[in-house]
Parts: sequence; C-alpha cells; structure tokens
Amino acid sequence: MLRILHDTNYDFIRWWKVMAGITIAFIVLGLGSLAIKAPNYSIEFTGGTLMQLEFVKPPDVAEIRSTLDQAGIQGAEIQQFGTNREFTVRAQNPGAVAAQANGAESISVRIEQVLTQKFGANSFKVIRTEAVGPRVGSELRRGAIIAILLSFLITLIYLSIRFEWRFATAAVIATSHDVFTTIAFLKLTHLEISLTVVAGLLTVLGYSLNDTIIIFDRVRENLRKGRKETLYETLNRSINETLPRSVLTHATAFAATLALLIFAGEVIRPFAWVMAFGIVTGTFSSIYVAAPVLLWIERKWPRKTGARQASSTATPTSRTQRSPATATR
Amino acid sequence: MSLKYRLLVILGLIGASFWALFPRTVVERVKRNGEFVYDTVRRVPLKRGLDLQGGMYLALEVDESKGVVPDKSKAIDNALKVVRNRIDEFGVSEPVVQKAGNDRIIVELPGIDDPRRAEDVVQKSAFLEFQITDKTQALEKSLPRLDALLKDKKLVVAVSTGSAATTDTSSRAGLQSLFTADTSKKADSSKTDSAKAAAATVGGPGAFSRLVQQGQMPGEYYVAQSDVATMNQYLALPEVAAALPPGKVLRWSSDTASLGNRIYRALYVLDAKPIITGEFLTDAKPNTSPTEGNLVEFTMNNEGARRFRTETSRHIQDYMAIVLDQRVMGRPPVIQSSIGARGQITMGGKDLQAAQDLALVLRAGSLPVPLKVIDVRVIGASLGQDSIHKGITAGVIAIALVVIIMLGYYRFSGALAVAGLALYILYTLAALAGFSAVLTLPGLAGFVLSIGIAVDANVLIFERIREELVHGKTIRTAIDEGFRHAMSAIVDSNVSTALTAAVLYQYGTGPVRGFAVTLLAGIAASMVTSIFVVRTFYMLWLNRSGEAQTTLSI
Repeated sequence: MLRILHDTNYDFIRWWKVMAGITIAFIVLGLGSLAIKAPNYSIEFTGGTLMQLEFVKPPDVAEIRSTLDQAGIQGAEIQQFGTNREFTVRAQNPGAVAAQANGAESISVRIEQVLTQKFGANSFKVIRTEAVGPRVGSELRRGAIIAILLSFLITLIYLSIRFEWRFATAAVIATSHDVFTTIAFLKLTHLEISLTVVAGLLTVLGYSLNDTIIIFDRVRENLRKGRKETLYETLNRSINETLPRSVLTHATAFAATLALLIFAGEVIRPFAWVMAFGIVTGTFSSIYVAAPVLLWIERKWPRKTGARQASSTATPTSRTQRSPATATR
Repeated sequence: MSLKYRLLVILGLIGASFWALFPRTVVERVKRNGEFVYDTVRRVPLKRGLDLQGGMYLALEVDESKGVVPDKSKAIDNALKVVRNRIDEFGVSEPVVQKAGNDRIIVELPGIDDPRRAEDVVQKSAFLEFQITDKTQALEKSLPRLDALLKDKKLVVAVSTGSAATTDTSSRAGLQSLFTADTSKKADSSKTDSAKAAAATVGGPGAFSRLVQQGQMPGEYYVAQSDVATMNQYLALPEVAAALPPGKVLRWSSDTASLGNRIYRALYVLDAKPIITGEFLTDAKPNTSPTEGNLVEFTMNNEGARRFRTETSRHIQDYMAIVLDQRVMGRPPVIQSSIGARGQITMGGKDLQAAQDLALVLRAGSLPVPLKVIDVRVIGASLGQDSIHKGITAGVIAIALVVIIMLGYYRFSGALAVAGLALYILYTLAALAGFSAVLTLPGLAGFVLSIGIAVDANVLIFERIREELVHGKTIRTAIDEGFRHAMSAIVDSNVSTALTAAVLYQYGTGPVRGFAVTLLAGIAASMVTSIFVVRTFYMLWLNRSGEAQTTLSI
C-alpha cells in the first residue's frame, strides 16, 4: 500500500507562536487596508447597475469610457471580462430624484442607447444586466453577517453537545479566524465580493470546521484512552495521526477547486479563489489556531475529571468506548 | 442488516434515482409559432435557475415617494393579484410571481427576450382617469404670483441660468436625457430655444411664464422640450405647488409635438376631480384605425356607462383629457355628445405592441399602489447556456482528478470509493430533482466542489482501516473497526456542515439558496454512499472471496 506521512511525529504545536505572528500580520495587513480603501463589493451589495456586453469585435475601452462620460454616466467602471470582446460596465445609481422616478433600469437603458449610437446596432449584445437598489444591498449585507454569526452559534451549541464547551469554543475561534483571513485575502487580492463569494466564505467555514472536528474527534478518542501524556502531546499526536487523511482530503478538494478555477468561467472564478484560499486557511487554523486555543482554555479552566486533565499525573481510567455520543463530561 | 437487504436498499435507491431523473411529460406553457400555449413536453425534471437558463428577475416594492401607504402588506397582496394577471397574459413559460417578506413582490420570467417591455407591463400603474381641461384661464391668473415667487426665492437664478446662456445648453441636454429617452432630437432644438425663449411667451419675462405659451385649446400650454426639466424642477418646489390654481392639476402630455422647427411637450391644466376613473372598465382591445393610428378600445360596465353618460352630457363642447398614470394620452378630444359604454385611447405615434400592452394592463386592472423596481437581473440565454457548459466541463475534470487520486492512492479500495462517488452523483442529482430544487450557477459550482469533498468520508474510513491493519487485525475486523471508529468524525463534521448550509438556506436569496440546497443534498448523499454503500461493497467482496482473503488493497 502507498503511504504518505505515515506514523509521523512532528511537533506541530511548537511553532504556534511563529504561526500566530504570521497570521496576525496577514489579518492586520488585510483589515488595515480596509480602513484605507473599501473592499470591492459587487453591485448586489453596493446597489447600482452592472451590464455585461459582448462585442462582435474587440472595442477600444477608452472609447467606451468617453462615450459613457459624455452621456453623463460618470465614474462607470469598465472591465474586461474573460475574452477581449466581453466587458462589464458598472455604474453607481445616482442619488438624484430622476433615478427614483424612472426606476433602477433606466441607467442600463441609457448605457445601451449611447453605446448603440457610438458603435452601431448589432455591434454588441447585452448578455447580462443587474440593477440593484441601495436598500437591497444593505439588506443583503445584514443577511450575510447574520448568516455567519448564526452559523457560529449553532456550531457552538452542536459541538458543546457532542464534545464539550472547551472544544466548541476553540473550534469556533479557529473558524472565525478563517473569516478574518479570508476577508483579508479578498481585500488584498481585490476580488469582487458578491453573494456567490459570501456563499464561498460560508463553505470555507464549513470546510475548516470539518477539518477541526476531524482532529478534535481524534483528540477526544485519545483522551478517552487515558494515556499518560499532556494535552499538548495528545494534540500533537492527534494531528499526526490524522495527517494522511488531511493530505488526501485536501488534495481531492483542491483538485475540484482547481477544476472550477480553470474551467468554470469568469462568474465562478472569485468563488473558486475563495475556496482555494479557504482550503489553506482552514487547514492552517485547525492546527495552529484550534489546538493552541484549546490548550489555553484548558490552562485557564482545567477540567475536573482526572483522566482528561491536561496534566501528566492523570491516572488512566479504563472505560469502554462504545459510542462517542455518550462521552461524559 | 444482512448483505441481501443492503443490496436491495442500494438497488432501490438507484431505481428511485433513475425514476426521479427520468425525462417525463409535463404540461407547460411553451412558445409555438410566437404564441404561448399549454402543451406537454418531455424533459428531465431538474429545474434550472434563471442564471442558467436566461431570463429576468424583478423585485418590486411599494413606491412611497408619492404618498405614504398605510398597510403595505395588504397593498402588496392586492398588487400581487394584478401583477400575476398581467404576467399570465403577457405570455411567459413558467413564470414565478410571489410575495417575498411583507412588502416585496418577486417576479421571475424565464427566457424573456424583451426585458424592458416586461418591466413596463409589470410596473405600469394603469390608473386611468378622465378629466376635463380647465376653461377658466386659471393658470394665467396664477402666473404673476408664480413669477414673483420664483423671483423672491431667488430660485430662478439657481435653476434657470441655463435657459439664458447658450453655452450651458449642452450640459442641460445631458441632464434632460435623464428624463426622456430620445437624445437626438433635443440636441437640435435646444440650440434655438434659448434665443427665442423670451419672445414666445404668454405673460412677459417672468421666470415661470417665460417657459409656457398658450396652446390651441382651453387649458393647454406648450413647453419647449428643452425646458421640461426646468419646469419639473419648479413644479417640485412646495411653494410653487401651493401657488398653483386650487382644484386644478397640471399634467404632461405623453408625447411631444413639433411646431415649426421646435419640439414642444404639452402641459395641461385639468380639473382635479376626474369625471370617471378606469375602475369601471370591463374590457380593452388594441386596434388600428387608418386616421388615428394605433389605439385601444375600451368598454365600461353598466354603472360606469351610466356615470360616463351623465358626466359627459354635462360637459358638451368641453375637452376631455384621458389621463393614464398622470400622463395625458393623445390630444384631449372635444365632447360632441354624451358618451356611453365605449371609448378609445389613441396611442399617438406608438406602435401596435404598445397598444397591445396598454390593453393588457387595462384588462388586468390597475395597481392599487404604485410599485418601484428595486432589483432587476437580466441574464441572456446564451450566457446561461455557456455557464452550464463550463460548469459541466469543470465537473468532469474534477471527477477525473478525484478518481486518479483515489485509484492511485487506495487502489482496489479506491475503486470502491469511486463506485461510491458515481452513486453519490446520481443520488445528489436525484435528490435535487425529487425536492424540485432549482439548480443555479453557484449551486453547480458547489456541486463540483462537493465531488472533491465527498470522498473525505471514504478517506477517513480507509485511513482507519489501515491503522487497524497495522495493529495486526484481520481484514474483516479491520474493516468493521475502521467503519466504526470513523463514524463519529464523519457524523460530527457532516452535521455541522449541514447546519451551516441550513443557515445559508434560511438567510440566502436566489442563487445562494440554490447553492445551500445543493450542499444539503450533497451531504446527505455523501453520508449514505460512504457509510452504507461502500461498506456493502466491502461485505460483498469479503463474502465472495471468503475468509481465505489475506490481503486488502487499500
């Protein structure tokens, strides 16, 4: 049988201070730059109009821009989208009364008109239009935040029941770490934050939580065996024991992400990037955030039962482990 | 559970999946030679979202800019019926019209090819009023006051400098294109108008009166098209509104008229109280007349006809404006004799399509409250097709990569996992079809991703079996123990992911919701295949080869 990283005994947790330094620096860098410049929200969140245009032959971007400027659609963002014949035009809704009275669509109508005048009929095709009012955007933002917080709460409750509160807290802290690193990643790469990307973020959270749970499950089991070792050693052992599984699962997940990144097209690409980064940060946080946080919680609030105490003097107790669901705490 | 029952369950699931995915005949609205008819079509019962099949999504809310609506939820309920009626007549296959939350209407129109027209049909208030034009010269009497008012407020300097200075006209034309659709005509007219503006007015050089000139019938005034925006700004001022003649309303004409080389829009002063409204209308039909062009003929019910007759007989020789959504349709006709149950609305220069749409909205009834569009998405059919194509390519590649990794690493056991993966894909699609979930682009991406993550459970189990084998267990025991020990990790990780997906479903909209559903279906299918199906494969293998089996390829 082909085996990789089998029976390893690395001291992963020893490096936690270095790793904490790296990840904090990354988060500070990412979130710090948020203060300077707002992230690249999609129009779903900002409100505004987005049009995707497909030209028959590659147009001159400067020409599109000047045409729109002349028509009074100032500050429109024009971006190439995939091929050099496809472009997106993104315009903010002006706060004027006019936009209110004429509805959100009117800007896209105007863009189409002026471009038709400039480039001629049938020179391009509008293949996608989105126009979102400002209220919808703010609602979505609130919805996304509620969704993330609520998923934390539910995870906390579920893991508290299945494991215990120390594990649950460590897992949720590790997962929230991933929220911050992913936001920092989005900011630094200037990826557009759309609803799909938020869905990607939540998938990353699920994936990272998955990874943490797999390690914690092993910790739970090893603790139950009642070895004479510190929690530090148990954590290291558990991470090492689950290492082959981690490598394999991350490989298959990454393979699928790569397929999406390369083949699924422009619309899905930001989602795939988030997922690719998420696999990295999720793996990282399971080892270097969840484990150290668990150790820290243990030191602060040690458990009463001798068998699972983080001290090496704990007396091994023999107990049968039929179902993990009946784990006492 | 014995092996026989396990196999039966798996076969049953496969059978059910095929049944769920088998193309079936359904009755649908489809387009046949440009007409929408109900017909039976055969298709795979997997519903594609608007982002995959192309179409239009609209979210509408009560527009409170023209007055507060006390009970929004009830107003939306009533508006929903009207919108649904209109959409049904509009002709779209499988439209969705539903209430979202308390104060919102969601309209989904798959495969629509003229989004602007659709939006118009949904949003048009279709509030029809018949109002008599003013014969008392009320506006002329108010003009001095209006002029003085604007002068006092010094507002005239702020807003109307444009009409005096020729250099500013181009920028003003830009502003006006916000209000009106055609930019080409105005550009010419605005050059000449500012020079002539002072000469052609009714009441001297006042800021307000300079903009209007007497029309050809009582209560009719002309405003140069280039001054319409300025006029609207004046009329929006509360002081101006207060100084307008009481009991009268000002309404713009729906189209423009050209006099000489200049383009004008008519402004009508009308009696505020309509003689009758469109609530008594029973039918409306588009028609084309050789003299008046396209028009809509309408019929009133008995009560409406009676009122209409009484009111019009009192207003013989007066002019009656037909006002639709606060715009005067065509030129107000003179009332020759009392009018009964039938009448017509001329469409000006508009095409027959416009007449058809107007007849449609009049038949479906007027909206009880004005609606505004707060969210529009239009996705071209080609883009949707392209997305599906790319999604499937990515899916196939993802499957190939995962199969290579699993076979390369786990060999025979990997092959069992791959067989499990095939069933996973089948079950997931069947579950989506069975719950009539909508497959969206993010959902498709989530599905591709889940192929990579679905084997995680298999990996967990295989690694466990390896550990047990290293500990010197027999193959049968190692497999049993491997499955048992991996169980808690699989259940805990999958349940917590499912909980996250449930939250996404609850708080997500449209495409994201589709993503959450795909995720949930995937989690369920992955647990069934990895825990149950692959286990059964192992049992089958052990049974076939008997206890003699001493090596397990894993």
